[in-house]
Amino acid sequence: MEDDVLLKIKGVSKEFPGVKALYNVDLTIKKGMVHALVGENGAGKSTLIKILAGVYKRDAGEIIFEGHPVIIHSPADSLSLGIKVVFQELALIPHMTVAENVFLESFPLKKNKAIDWETMSKKTAEILLSIGLSISPKDMIYKLTVSQQQMVEIARALSHEAKLIVMDEPTSALTPKEIKFLFDVIRKLKTLDIGILYVTHKLEEVFELCDKVTVLRDGKLISSNNIKETNTDEVVKDMVGRSIKTLFPRTHAGKGKVVLSVENLSTEKKLKDVTLKVHAGEVFGIFGLLGAGRTELAKAIFGLDTITGGKILIDGQELKVGSTSHSTKMGLGFLTEDRKEEGLVLQMSVAQNITLPSIREFSSFGVIKRKLEAKRSNEFVQKLRIKTPSLRQKVMFLSGGNQQKVLLARWLMKKLKVIILDEPTRGIDVGAKAEIHRLIDELAKAGLAVIVMTSEMPELLGVSDHIVVMSNGRITGEFEKSSATQESILAAAIA
Amino acid sequence: MEQKIETNRINIFRRIFGVSEFGLLVSLVVIFAFFSISSKYFFTVRNISNILGQISLPLIAAVGFSILLISGEVDISIGSLQAVVALPLLVIMNASGSFLLGAFAALLLGATVGIINGLLVTKLKINSLITTLGMYYTLRGTVYLITKKVAIADDSGSEIFFLIGNGKLYHFLPYSSILMFIILLLFIYIMKSTTYGRRIYAVGGNAEVARVMGINVEKIKFSAFILCSTLASLSAILLASRLGSANHLAGQGFEFQVVAAVILGGVSLSGGIGTLLGAFIGVFIIGIIQNGLGMMNVYTMWQLVITGSIIIMAVAIDELKKRHE
Repeated sequence: MEDDVLLKIKGVSKEFPGVKALYNVDLTIKKGMVHALVGENGAGKSTLIKILAGVYKRDAGEIIFEGHPVIIHSPADSLSLGIKVVFQELALIPHMTVAENVFLESFPLKKNKAIDWETMSKKTAEILLSIGLSISPKDMIYKLTVSQQQMVEIARALSHEAKLIVMDEPTSALTPKEIKFLFDVIRKLKTLDIGILYVTHKLEEVFELCDKVTVLRDGKLISSNNIKETNTDEVVKDMVGRSIKTLFPRTHAGKGKVVLSVENLSTEKKLKDVTLKVHAGEVFGIFGLLGAGRTELAKAIFGLDTITGGKILIDGQELKVGSTSHSTKMGLGFLTEDRKEEGLVLQMSVAQNITLPSIREFSSFGVIKRKLEAKRSNEFVQKLRIKTPSLRQKVMFLSGGNQQKVLLARWLMKKLKVIILDEPTRGIDVGAKAEIHRLIDELAKAGLAVIVMTSEMPELLGVSDHIVVMSNGRITGEFEKSSATQESILAAAIA
Repeated sequence: MEQKIETNRINIFRRIFGVSEFGLLVSLVVIFAFFSISSKYFFTVRNISNILGQISLPLIAAVGFSILLISGEVDISIGSLQAVVALPLLVIMNASGSFLLGAFAALLLGATVGIINGLLVTKLKINSLITTLGMYYTLRGTVYLITKKVAIADDSGSEIFFLIGNGKLYHFLPYSSILMFIILLLFIYIMKSTTYGRRIYAVGGNAEVARVMGINVEKIKFSAFILCSTLASLSAILLASRLGSANHLAGQGFEFQVVAAVILGGVSLSGGIGTLLGAFIGVFIIGIIQNGLGMMNVYTMWQLVITGSIIIMAVAIDELKKRHE
C-alpha cells in the first residue's frame, strides 16, 4: 500500500520570532486523493503550504516525496519535484497570453533557442481541452474571469507534470457554477493520479469533494480522518477546540423607524431600480451570488459610484450624490469586502486606523488630542478584544480577524445610524466569525440599522431579521426571517 | 478581562531606540565624526555655520516635497520652478525697491504653478511624474525665453534681500537656517498632530480607504502640490539672495538633490511612509557629505560619485533591515 503514498511529512516544525507556527506536524497524502487541510486562521495551514512551496524553510522534520527524503530550498526546487501551489493571489502576468503564462517557467524552444510559439500554443490547447476549459491559448489573462485564471494556473501545473497540486482557498472568489466546474476539474485530476492538498475554510466543500481531512490548530496536528468516518460537528470541534452550538447568537431586538430608504436606485454599471427600506435596530441581510450587484449597491449608497437615477435618504434627508464625506457626516458607514485594498491603511497604527473617520471628534481647530485618541481607541480595543501588543502596532501585522475588528471599531466609534457590512466574515476563522456576529447583534441592539451583505447562506439566515435577495442588479426576493428558507432564497438568487 | 496593551507611555529607552530614524541618526553622527577627524577645517564654528546655511535651501523645499511624496504624488518641476520664480522677484524688486513685494510675487507664482500641477493631476488624472516632467521642461524653457540666458542682477539695494540668504545672527546662525527650523518644526507638528497631517498619511497610504473614510482625496493631494511648490519658491528666494540675481541656470538638478535626500531620510516613493524628521536628517547627511568632501579637497567629480554611492548604500541597508524585520 505504501506505493500510493505521494507525500509524507514527518514531525515538521517552524518557528517565527515569538510564534511557534508549526509544531511536530505529520501529514500523508496519497496519489489520486483529495486531502483537505482545515483550521482557523493562524492554525499553521499557510505556513505548511509555504514550506511545501519552498517559500519558507522548515526548522525540523522530514519531507518524503515519492519515497525519497527531499529538501526544498526554493520555489524552483518545489516545482521541479512536481509540487505546484495555487495561491489565493494568483501568480499570473495579466498582459501576457494564456499560453505564455502556462509555459512561463520553461518556454518550449526551437533548435536555435528561439521560443517555439507553435508548440506552445498547441500544447496549451491540449491541456485546456483536457480540463474542459473553453478559452483560447491566445487570450490575454486580464480579460479572463477569476475562475478562468485559476484554471490557467492548474493548466500550468499540468504543463509541468505536477504530481501534487496544493490549492489555497480556491473557491473564495468563485460563483457556485464556477465552483462546480472547479470540482469537476479536481475530480479529473484525481483520475490522473495527481494528489491534491485542498486548503479551505468551508466545510461543506470538504465533505463534498475530499477523501480525507486533516485539522490543524495552533500549529499542531489535531486530527486526520477519512471523510466517511467523521462529520461536520467533529471537524468544527477539532478546529476550535470547543463545540460551537450556536454560531450566530442573534438576540431579538425591536424594530424602530425607517432610517435608510433607497428609492429606485440605478447605476450605469449594474443596478436597476433598487428600492429598500431599512429600520433602526434591524439586521438587514442582502444575499446575492457573485456578480449580483451587492457590492455595487453598497458603493452606490455610500457615494463611491455615480448613480444614474433614484435617491437615497437617511432620516428623510437626501444624500448628496457621489460624496463620501457627506455620507459619513450623515451617519453612514461602510465596511468594505476587501479589507486590505479598501479597508485598512496598512502602514498606519491600530489606533490611527480606528480613529480615521472620527478624527474630527478628537481634535479642536485641526489639532489632534492624542491622549484622548489613545484612550478612546484603547476602550474599543478592549471592548472588541482586539489582539494587539500595542496601539502603535502597524495594523498590517494583525491577523485577519483582528483587522476586521479594527474596522468594526472604527465605525462603532463614529456613532452611526446605518452601517453597511460587505462580506464581514470573509477569510476569517470560525472563532473570530462568531465574535463578529456577536458584534453585529450588539450594533443592532444599540439601535443601528445594520446591512449585512453576504454570499454565505448560513450566515445570512443566522444573522438577519429581514432578507433581500439580489440578482443581476435587481431585487428578486424579499423575506422575513421566519418565512425564509434556503431553497426560496436560492431560487430568487438565480432568478 | 483587561488585556495589557501599551498606550502612550513607553519607557524612555524604547522611545529613543524605537524611533525609526534612530539608524539614520547614528549614520549622521558617524559621518560627522569621520569628517571632523579627517579635516581640520570641518569642525569649526565657521564651517558649521556654512553647513547650516547650505542645507536650509534644500531642506525648506524638502519639507513640502516630503509631504507631497507622503500624500502619494511627486513633483520634479521644483528645480525649474526655482529659476522661474526668481524672475518676478528680481524684476519687481528692481522696479519697486521693495523686497516684500517681489517675494510676494515669487510665492504667488510658485503657488500658481502648484495649483496647475495639482489640477492636472487631480482633475485630469494625469500621472504626477508625467505632469511635472512636462512642467520641468516648460518652466525651464520659459526662463530661457524670457532671460535670453542672461542673468538679471539685483540693483534694488534691498538690504533684507541680501541678508535673508547671506546674513547671520551673532555671526553664526544664518537667518535662512532660522527660517528653515521654524518651517521644519511647524510642519513636523502639523504632520504629527493635526487632522490635516493624518489625512496626508491616509491618502498616501491607501487612497481608496481614505475615500471610504469620507476624506476628499483630491483636495488633500491638491493642497500638497501647492504646499510643495510654495515652499520650493521660498527656497528659491533664498537662492536668489545668495546668487544676488535671477539666473537661468538656477536650481538645475535641485529636484534630484531633494529626492535623494528625502528618500535617504526614509520617505517612501510609494506614499504613506516617512517623517519630516527623517527627511531633515537625510538632507543634513547629504549636506555634510558634500561639505566634508569639499573640505578634504576631494575632486568635484569624485564628490558626485561618492555622494551617489552613499545614497544607494544607505537605501540598500534600509531595505535589508526592513526585510530582516
